[in-house]
Amino acid sequence: MDEKVLTSQFEDLLASRGVTRRGFLQLCGTIAAATGLAHVTVPDVAHALEESVIGAAEGNLFPVIWIEGASCTGCTEAFAQIDQPDPATVVLEMISCNYNETLSFAAGHSMEEAKAQTIKQCAGKYVLVYEGALLEGWDGWALRVAEETGVNAFLEAAESAFGVVALGSCAVNGGWMGSKKTPAGAIGCQALMAKHGIETPVTNIPGCPANPEWLVAVLVDVVMMGILPELNIDNKPSLIFEQAVHENCQRRGHFENGEFVYKFGSEEEKKGFCLYAMGCRGPQTKANCGIVRYNHRRSWCIEAGSPCIGCCEANPLDASHNWVDVNAPFHERHRDLRIGNWVVQPRTIGLAAVALTAIGVIIHGFGMKASGRLEDIRFEKQREWDAKHPDSAIGDYTADRIIIHADGTEEVVPADVFEKMQDAEYEQSMKKIGAAAASAVATGSATAQDAVETAEETARTSIDDAEAKTAEDVENAIEEEIDETKGGQE
Amino acid sequence: MTRSTIDPVTRIEGHLRIEMEVENGVVADAWVSGGCFRGMELVLEDRTPEDAAMIAQRICGVCPVSHAQSSSIAGEKALGITISNNARIIRNLLEGAQFLHSHILWFYNLAAPDYVNPINALKASAADAHDLAVAAGTSTNTDLKALQERLTKFANNGQLSIFSGNWFDSEGGEGYQLPPELDLVCTAHYLEALTMQAKASEIAGLLGGKMPHIMTVVPGGTMFVPTEEKLDDLWALVNELYDWVASTMVQDTVALVPFYKDALEWGGGCKRYVAWGVFEDASFEMNNRYLPAGVLKDGLVLEDVNEDLIKEYTGHSWYEPDDMELRNPRDEGITKPLYTEYDVNDRYSWCKSPSYDGQCMEAGGLSRLLVAYKRGVPFVVEQIDGLLDTLGVPGRIDVLQSTLGRTGARQIETLYVASLMKEWVAELIEALKGGDTEYFREPARDSGDGTGFWEAPRGALYHTEHVSGGRITGYQIIIPTTWNIAPRGHNGEPGPMEQSLIGVPVGDVEKPINALRTVHSFDPCTACAVHISEPSTGKHFETVTNPWGVK
Repeated sequence: MDEKVLTSQFEDLLASRGVTRRGFLQLCGTIAAATGLAHVTVPDVAHALEESVIGAAEGNLFPVIWIEGASCTGCTEAFAQIDQPDPATVVLEMISCNYNETLSFAAGHSMEEAKAQTIKQCAGKYVLVYEGALLEGWDGWALRVAEETGVNAFLEAAESAFGVVALGSCAVNGGWMGSKKTPAGAIGCQALMAKHGIETPVTNIPGCPANPEWLVAVLVDVVMMGILPELNIDNKPSLIFEQAVHENCQRRGHFENGEFVYKFGSEEEKKGFCLYAMGCRGPQTKANCGIVRYNHRRSWCIEAGSPCIGCCEANPLDASHNWVDVNAPFHERHRDLRIGNWVVQPRTIGLAAVALTAIGVIIHGFGMKASGRLEDIRFEKQREWDAKHPDSAIGDYTADRIIIHADGTEEVVPADVFEKMQDAEYEQSMKKIGAAAASAVATGSATAQDAVETAEETARTSIDDAEAKTAEDVENAIEEEIDETKGGQE
Repeated sequence: MTRSTIDPVTRIEGHLRIEMEVENGVVADAWVSGGCFRGMELVLEDRTPEDAAMIAQRICGVCPVSHAQSSSIAGEKALGITISNNARIIRNLLEGAQFLHSHILWFYNLAAPDYVNPINALKASAADAHDLAVAAGTSTNTDLKALQERLTKFANNGQLSIFSGNWFDSEGGEGYQLPPELDLVCTAHYLEALTMQAKASEIAGLLGGKMPHIMTVVPGGTMFVPTEEKLDDLWALVNELYDWVASTMVQDTVALVPFYKDALEWGGGCKRYVAWGVFEDASFEMNNRYLPAGVLKDGLVLEDVNEDLIKEYTGHSWYEPDDMELRNPRDEGITKPLYTEYDVNDRYSWCKSPSYDGQCMEAGGLSRLLVAYKRGVPFVVEQIDGLLDTLGVPGRIDVLQSTLGRTGARQIETLYVASLMKEWVAELIEALKGGDTEYFREPARDSGDGTGFWEAPRGALYHTEHVSGGRITGYQIIIPTTWNIAPRGHNGEPGPMEQSLIGVPVGDVEKPINALRTVHSFDPCTACAVHISEPSTGKHFETVTNPWGVK
């Protein structure tokens, strides 16, 4: 390549903008062209900074080491989205972020040196923010950084820290990597520290990603007030993770009115009805998402039309209790809904609210009008979690149930009968899918969809017409309609 | 002969190690190692395609939207769905928002610190810096004097924060070449970029609920249904972003070039490219996408994409088996993770080595632009020709095949996407005006196979899945950075990034800044790149739907 050509053409470009070659060189101070920076007189301030010791213990900023373990960088990314204070203000005027793999200007051994010096010179005075899971697979070599295992790097930094912030569900308990399906061997910060006898206090901030407002709230406690936030039994900040998403949900009015979205693409969806029937985990997931919201408070999951998938679910001491394994499948109503320690089955929910109020138990004002349509909700026959963890099952398979019908009448159903009803209902939902598939093969997708929708609608209408009083009546009505539809297609 | 190592490489996503053999001040050989194994595909087994679209995003917090889209497209092919026109537009807007976010963050906040020294900016005359910005035609939104005072206050405090361990003194103080005035302007833009990338994410948050890890894209379309009050926010945010991008990014790039033009002479790499295409038009044809699909072989010869030619090799990675076979990940992937030890002569990476038609290929913004150029996309042709004219090398597209070329070309793509965003908002408003309110379509069946060819900001992205009875029985992902940071291939050829490092001048083996510039030009995303393709059960795909043949 001809460098001269390049240079002169660039000057032509400048000239076309009304700047002379001489003017440009003057502006540039001819520094780059003529000399190295070493020959330039360095003002005192810049010089002072160049002489600064990495990890200086003295100063106005609170030292922070931010390590990314087995992470997707999503929590750092989320942090980069905050405003008031914006990330630049945080790293220039609040904390001295001496080690951050995404933001640091350093690289390689200079980076590791910055961390080592901070650990040494600021021992007991820095916060360790840890993002991502810790991996114990292959003796820790599943995560290899600077010729060291990720586990060792974490333990070394955690031991001398003022406090450890486990940022994001992966750092709290391994997150999706906690699934036993992968041999990576994920574990959360608190559990790993307990294993190694490290007693530095841990603050767990779950979420996928953790809302950056939560991190900044904790940093405000530490940096501005010199204290650690008040924590609950899981070491999560109480004020953030005490209430369920449901309690502060903007669609909650629809829940209480029994107005639900039953299908994406439906009229109910366009009206912004409650997403509970689409599998929303809001009632069982504890976090104040609906209050802090995301991305400059622009929106949040449920406002945008998505059911909550429970990404803040994380038991710090049990990687297998991770949000993915607990909550998937996300878009099917769980067989049993958990609200705090209270477990209910969707079809009984309307009544349960009444019954509980009657016996004096109020669960954060949780209530909903009895609605016959709740019976159309797709659900799991048995929770996936329960099938894999019979010892710590979340679902309740033994309690007698009270069903309230749309006309207000009640029906007590023994547990074994109720389970049979569940089986029948589950079979029905499977048949609907089967009918859709069969019809799709026969007539093409659009028609198939119409056919199933028609079948469902007809079933629903006939139930209403018959003013069905018992659960059995409902089952039979649906079954007959589906059979007729299938017969017609054959 | 000296070894020079960068571990960890910073300002990337994930964990990456670069080891180089330096001879006479030049890199003679290089080994690139991905340092982390997580096992995403295993976690996707036995889940529903909708869940896969949610979970697979968690591979990467920088490009989650692309993973959600690629996974959803795979699910849609498998389940026989063609999404509605409104869903197409909204998904383009989501992807575009992420591209803008990612490109702005990458250029200013991840890559530029290899070229810009904010501490040197303390020496600048703020008035001259303003004049310089005007002369270079770039934006002047920041009060440069106030910024300098802010930096001075920071410097006086004596704590280095994110500047701890910087390489500003690399190569005997010659590593950073900008005059203080330009350093000041670029530092101002570094800070503005932090705000603008967040605004871009705000668009993704508006449409997706939150960013990173959006919530509304699923096989079948989108759960997001626009309301009037969301629409006007969207329109305003898109315009604001376009104005900043159009007034700043290409201009800053052109202003940097004269000071680092040696970086146009090395860093080219394998000079073969793959792009699967991104941003769907109404035809849903890969070759018609706004950034179209294509493969560029040696000599930039353009071919259409053929899925059968994609194969992976694991002979230098920590996976079984250890034979020398090339395997198609879709049909015959049987790899299992197995850590041995780090040995550049044997196995040295958690990243596998993908190939197309037996050759390693580069993926990324440069690949997309070169394919778009070859396919004659008007905006891209016009802008690239204009840039080459400005640089004084008209028609010399090979200039872009270098460290600085790869770094600079991406700003053209940013400008293109920013202008497309405006088009798509207009298109959405037109569709709504016409009464179209369809955003989601149900699956036509519960079993099938499908591949989602797509692009993340860092390059070609491939998700493929087999679904039986509504559940996934096999899932495969090949991510852009897997192409770029691949270790040696079956034929012993170094991977694309390894090749790009060979020939890079190293004036300072302790702080090899030019090598770092070259690595950053690829915008690596290594957490994405490292993954396992098949379960230990040995299950494999029988057939896969041809992704652009399905109606």
